[in-house]
Amino acid sequence: MFSKPDSALVIVGHGSTLNPDSSGPTWGHADAIAQLGAFGEVHCAFWKEEPSLRQVLHCVNKREIYVVPNFISEGYFTQTVIPRELGLDGPQTNVAGRTVKYCAPVGSHERMTDLLLKRAAAVAPGVSPKETSLFIVGHGTGLNDNSAVAAKREVERIRALGIFGEVIAAYMEEAPFIAKWDELSTQPNVVVVPFFIADGLHSYEDIPVLLGIASTSPGAASATGAGVFAQNPYRLRGRTLFYANSIGTEEGFAEVILDQVAAFDAAAA
Amino acid sequence: MMDTNAALADWLDKGGRQIGQITIAKSADGWELRHIDDVGREDLCLYTITADARQLANLDDAGAYRALKTAPNLRHGWRLVLPDVATVHSALDAFYPAMIGVQLARERGELTPVNLRDTLARQTGMYRVTQKLTDEQAQSLIADSCRCDGGCLKIILWRISEELPVNSLPAEKFTVRGQNEWPLLCHEACNILVAGARKVVKGEPKEG
Repeated sequence: MFSKPDSALVIVGHGSTLNPDSSGPTWGHADAIAQLGAFGEVHCAFWKEEPSLRQVLHCVNKREIYVVPNFISEGYFTQTVIPRELGLDGPQTNVAGRTVKYCAPVGSHERMTDLLLKRAAAVAPGVSPKETSLFIVGHGTGLNDNSAVAAKREVERIRALGIFGEVIAAYMEEAPFIAKWDELSTQPNVVVVPFFIADGLHSYEDIPVLLGIASTSPGAASATGAGVFAQNPYRLRGRTLFYANSIGTEEGFAEVILDQVAAFDAAAA
Repeated sequence: MMDTNAALADWLDKGGRQIGQITIAKSADGWELRHIDDVGREDLCLYTITADARQLANLDDAGAYRALKTAPNLRHGWRLVLPDVATVHSALDAFYPAMIGVQLARERGELTPVNLRDTLARQTGMYRVTQKLTDEQAQSLIADSCRCDGGCLKIILWRISEELPVNSLPAEKFTVRGQNEWPLLCHEACNILVAGARKVVKGEPKEG
């Protein structure tokens, strides 16, 4: 474990003006890293919450600042919004006398595969992977984001390991649609892992409705939605279905954040 | 290198006692924070770690999510006792994110207010349309979203444009008060206001 007492870490999340749980995982990872004492300071910043990207650098005492996006994929936010709002012009930028080092987002780290496997095993204990169809569910729209690409990449990696009967990428808003999970899969057991950075409207409500394990309840984008994870397994459409929390709630994300800092240093060396 | 803990300690030593809706008092165990409306109450729930501050700040009295932490709807009924200035700093960062750092940047002369037109001009994607917001719409939106009674407690440091100040709110919205109150400063329109501008331009209802 490296130690950077003279550096600050800023973890950037999306945040939400509607969902009180959206920023929770980002704060949790920050708390875990602060407890490790790996950095002199650890901060969070958000697009939709405060501290905002326009405020956070005023809160940092250190002159060297690593910024790690807590995002699933490279895309609009990591390539356009975060650099623009922080005033970055490349991997390393001098911003008002500070050196800001912009790292890759957590979701692009190869360790994501292990975290998905861990999450899938935890949600369906004792279930034979060979008799299981594993779904990695992304958003999949024209959001100028590469979340669908990231989900496909993880599916290919997990598929190559030969652990599961089948591994399938599916999406909320583009084909293959997660709503057709029973047509897309053949195994008796189905494990569904949302490939999102936080639990919220999508994991609490949208995907459960598409899966057929919950009915629409407008405005339920809150902790009350967490009940959907407590009712595993679901028996429907002739299968046994296990529904997991969003992958971003996995504790191992804190280590991935540190790995992305180490990767930045390695690339710069 | 800055030391924001030392700056906060200095302010407390000089009698600083209020930030937003929170009052800070010296106690036998260190420092006590509570809602300013709860001064004198004996029936408050006791909290003792900074992590509690984030939970206390997250929901209002009715249990609704407080997306804007400087909205004047901090929940009541708690007191938070902390051992030292460092933990008070952490708690205040949870109750009023960035407000310690932003004020200290202002004191150092490093805080540059950004006018609304510049903030909107920078937007891309779904928020690019906010550049169509008229001056009249901006004044009305700011009056509605940023007013202290129901909107936001921050003091506005920016203008709509270099030529046009915000004139739809009373003068105290733009005035830093006494030394004993740590100012909540808005040096640039927040994303909530930008999202509000998008709804105005697109003719969408305010809520939803």
